[in-house]
Amino acid sequence: MEKADVIEKINHTFIENFEIEPERLTKDSKLFEDLELDSLDAVDMIVHMEQDLGIKVDIQKFSTVRTLDDVYQMAYELYSEKNLQ
Amino acid sequence: MTKIFISGLGNISSLGNSPDILFENLEKDRRFFKYYPEWKKFKGLKALVGAPCFPYDISKALHRKMRRSMSPMSEMAYLATLQALDQAGICLGENKPNSHPFKADPHRTLLVIGNTAGSPLFLDSFFRQMIEKEGPEGQLSTSFLKVMNHTIPTNISLALGFSGPLLSPSSACSTSSQAIILASELMKSGLYDMAVVGGADELHPHVVSIFDIVQATSSNYNETPEDIPGPFDQKRDGIVVSEGAGIVILETEKHLNKRKGTPLAEFSSGIYRCSGNHMTQPKASDMADTMAKALELANISPSDIDYINAHGTGTHKGDHEESDAISQTFKGENTSVSSLKGHFGHSLAACGAIEVISIIQMMKKNKIIGTRNLKNPPKNSGDINYLKDQEVKSIDYALSNNFAFGGMNTSMVIKGV
Repeated sequence: MEKADVIEKINHTFIENFEIEPERLTKDSKLFEDLELDSLDAVDMIVHMEQDLGIKVDIQKFSTVRTLDDVYQMAYELYSEKNLQ
Repeated sequence: MTKIFISGLGNISSLGNSPDILFENLEKDRRFFKYYPEWKKFKGLKALVGAPCFPYDISKALHRKMRRSMSPMSEMAYLATLQALDQAGICLGENKPNSHPFKADPHRTLLVIGNTAGSPLFLDSFFRQMIEKEGPEGQLSTSFLKVMNHTIPTNISLALGFSGPLLSPSSACSTSSQAIILASELMKSGLYDMAVVGGADELHPHVVSIFDIVQATSSNYNETPEDIPGPFDQKRDGIVVSEGAGIVILETEKHLNKRKGTPLAEFSSGIYRCSGNHMTQPKASDMADTMAKALELANISPSDIDYINAHGTGTHKGDHEESDAISQTFKGENTSVSSLKGHFGHSLAACGAIEVISIIQMMKKNKIIGTRNLKNPPKNSGDINYLKDQEVKSIDYALSNNFAFGGMNTSMVIKGV
């Protein structure tokens, strides 16, 4: 899976599960301020990422992400690490 | 003595999603029972009939953060609550769309809404995933919020921005009648001025199975649900499980008068009690005691009751015992009796409130709705006037019964205004 595919899967979660309009999904969108996610959403976002990408996301590490681009980056790194192993 | 009035009604049901549509379909003697051939995949399940509620769409009415913790029972109860608050002209919290000039005081207002056992839909998916994945992997954070016992009132408080006291009584089929009675008692104690009360439950094959296991479901007319005999009919063969939500607004007389609200009916009295006899077998003497106590609390005699809305689920034993209990309590009165479960099925935790709503609609229209598909009333029916058809009659006092597993017996007296 290329990075674009990872991004597509993450965006799909934001659109389908968090009902965020596609035009609001820009790289510098802040998860909590701009996209209005909260702590429950963060937990569910991790579940979706793990299910969709077959990765394991550490919640402490996820709590450091701020923007959508941070999520893409973290997801792609974890996905790449897993598939290199 | 503090008088309690009912000033708002709301329902989602298999006969319609407002009190007026519900009553219109009762008047037209309709039922919308549905055959579910897909339930054949559940090994051993005999009943393949249910009564789903009318369709509704909540997706545009509430923000995702309000909906994500709601199962259908909370959605139905939320919509019914909005209807009831709108009719009463009361704003419960700060959130739209519930906006009326009169704001309920959260320190003096109760929110009391129950259900039977949490959302069966999400209990099913939670445990199915737990078993299939051998652990909680993949479970969303909101799963528990849909199955916890107080899921309905907490979801409504969040959606409406209500910050007052909240309770979620649970006693299966007597849940909403118990909620109404409990709230009225707390109001009479002087602690509260008003209450938003009721119950809701979802139709799901798991729920049907619970009644199926104890041989209490209708299963002889699966492919022709229109023919299922009505409650009290000699050929009755059991419960048709339904779903829905019933919500009523209770107010003290003082509160209602102060805000110049309009009473729809008076809640004269109610009592809930357990029998201490048997978990599933009802007993006429316990039911009769409960009815007699409700009359005593209302300070009226059996002859004052114009109509009895029976629990009448359509089971052999339950209807038989309730008939005996009515005969004992109303000896010589020939009181009109009907059950509405032949029309809308048995909506479990919602039925008590939906039946109170139906009674108040009957009072408004001076028309008693008979039991649907009651062709042959029980032999030796004593002094009971089992209504098969509609009866034009003004109702000053009505008695409403609801009974439940666990030996729960409830009776309420509603007075017309």
